Amino acid sequence: MPKDQQNRGAGSLLPLVIAIGGIALMPLRAQETRHEQQPADPFAGLNPAPAADTSSQPKRSWFSRFFRDNLGFREEVMSEFTSDVEGSNASRQSVGFEVLKKFSTATATVASFDFQGRLVRRDGYNPVLNDMEGASRPGWSFEYHNLYVDLYNVANPLLSASGRGKNVGRFNFRAGRFYVPFGLNLQTDTHGTILQLSNESNFGNDRDWYAGFWGSINRHLNYDAYYMAGSGYDLEYRGQSGLAAVRLSLSNKYSSEYGLEGGVSVLGGERLAQPAWSSSLAEPAPLKTQRIGIDARYRHTAPRGLLTGTAELSGGHDARDPVVTQLYQAEYLRASRRWGIASQFRRFSRDGAGTDSAILGEFTWYFRNDVAGSNSHWIKLNIERQIQNYPEPPRTIVALQYYFYR
Amino acid sequence: MNHFLIILALLFAAAPERLFGAIGCTLSNPAEDLKYLYPEMTTFKEELKEFPKLPDGAGLFKGLRARLGSDLDPIYETYETPYTVYSIFKGDARIGVVHGVNVPGKGGVIQVFVATDPKTGEIKNFFFQRLESPAARQLRSKEFRMQFEGLTLADFYKHDYYAAAQPGAKADKLAALKPPSLDPGGKPDYEASLRGLRKNLILLDYFVYGRRFEPFFERAQQARKN
Repeated sequence: MPKDQQNRGAGSLLPLVIAIGGIALMPLRAQETRHEQQPADPFAGLNPAPAADTSSQPKRSWFSRFFRDNLGFREEVMSEFTSDVEGSNASRQSVGFEVLKKFSTATATVASFDFQGRLVRRDGYNPVLNDMEGASRPGWSFEYHNLYVDLYNVANPLLSASGRGKNVGRFNFRAGRFYVPFGLNLQTDTHGTILQLSNESNFGNDRDWYAGFWGSINRHLNYDAYYMAGSGYDLEYRGQSGLAAVRLSLSNKYSSEYGLEGGVSVLGGERLAQPAWSSSLAEPAPLKTQRIGIDARYRHTAPRGLLTGTAELSGGHDARDPVVTQLYQAEYLRASRRWGIASQFRRFSRDGAGTDSAILGEFTWYFRNDVAGSNSHWIKLNIERQIQNYPEPPRTIVALQYYFYR
Repeated sequence: MNHFLIILALLFAAAPERLFGAIGCTLSNPAEDLKYLYPEMTTFKEELKEFPKLPDGAGLFKGLRARLGSDLDPIYETYETPYTVYSIFKGDARIGVVHGVNVPGKGGVIQVFVATDPKTGEIKNFFFQRLESPAARQLRSKEFRMQFEGLTLADFYKHDYYAAAQPGAKADKLAALKPPSLDPGGKPDYEASLRGLRKNLILLDYFVYGRRFEPFFERAQQARKN
């Protein structure tokens, strides 16, 4: 190519190169422009506000601290109507409360107290699961349920500083009336529900008076070890020696990570019970009692909700009579926690005293349904079909319950 | 005894409601869980916190919705819901604060607990006590949870501003988090978990830190308006 032609060619390419370069640089320029348009960081130089000076706050009285700090008070209203197909109708209306107080030092929570009470009006009676004691309390009555104190880390005075650290949560003492430490009831609040676990059938009461220790053994296991009066509702001795109970249960780690709870329980000694074949008015007498049990509860996500399966199995003797208890329960709770359904099969057999078994179905509509059970409001429809009810014929009982707890 | 108990019941019923609190949403096994988080712990202390008992509790509860940026669930997040704050001590020194909240997830409850520095409010650890979700395994993974270490409530408030006004800003620490690999079905629970963590930090700012991160909320609100 001739040189002048080459020069002409180069001259004609120059505007093209500039144009291409310009186009290529456009995004960069646009980016720079955008950057220039971005507002300055509005948080530059901003720091958290200084912590409030609490030393200038007025010192509160002992009374004020006692009634304001860590004191829980909850009100309860329960209205329950039951009917069986034979036409036996019953009403149970109650107002109640629960008080929980925790006591702390500057660096530790050292004790707690819990009390549940209800003023109840009963007219008529049907033996629904959550009112097996009600037959002996027609009309007005005041009932107490939980009444206990917990003292935390009671071995601390005997331990060195490092020993205290290693044993936090290991040696706690409980005294009072609470759920019988057998099966899942210790870790299940059945205060307001119609469906109950198996201890009421197994021991005549789901709660008892006792004293003993509880805590964690290690990262996997918890323990409960108690001496119980074996008297059920009132604390009284009528010649019974009382019961010793030990329970080993899976720690919270398994519930948290796998949705699994469970344990094994052993119980033995003497409790007060109505003699077999006696009328309900007969005086309770000491009854030699031995039980061993295993239990589990498993939660698993289901479409738009949660499925929970529960089982409690136990065997042993009342005096010389073999006893076997079975309970199976399945529940579904909607993810919104607005409604749930549940079904339970229960069977209690004791040689010489016959067998009771029943299947129950339940639907609950929740107005409030706090996960921790501290704020509950519901309407429940429960139907119990008794399969065996020795020595009486089996019945079908329908219960409608309104419950408010806050 | 029955008469004594009836009198006791009447005394409690007659007492003004404001005197009393409620029973808290708690760790199921606090001693064991806290010892796992703080092996050097020697004692811990529980404190019950409730909006009805806080000065201007109603106002604070109303403000929770604005700071959270979403409506409160009428079942899971009521005004009366009690909260328990755990303070962890080594000797006389407070070495940590632990607090949990419930939020609704796709499959049910998500219980988000967070451990924070008592002085700075920085996240030291966060974990799920209950996580009813098909994405539970991924959300519980240590790699995912560890990314939150060192963040404070200020980072959540800043994120609101950056996400709207400066997407991709390097200062947006939340935007830099890598979510776990989830099926589309697991995404709502991921978002619910973040919401739970944020709610937890807001409540801690109310209950423990004297609202020290409030300037960041106010600045973010102002900046978004401008």
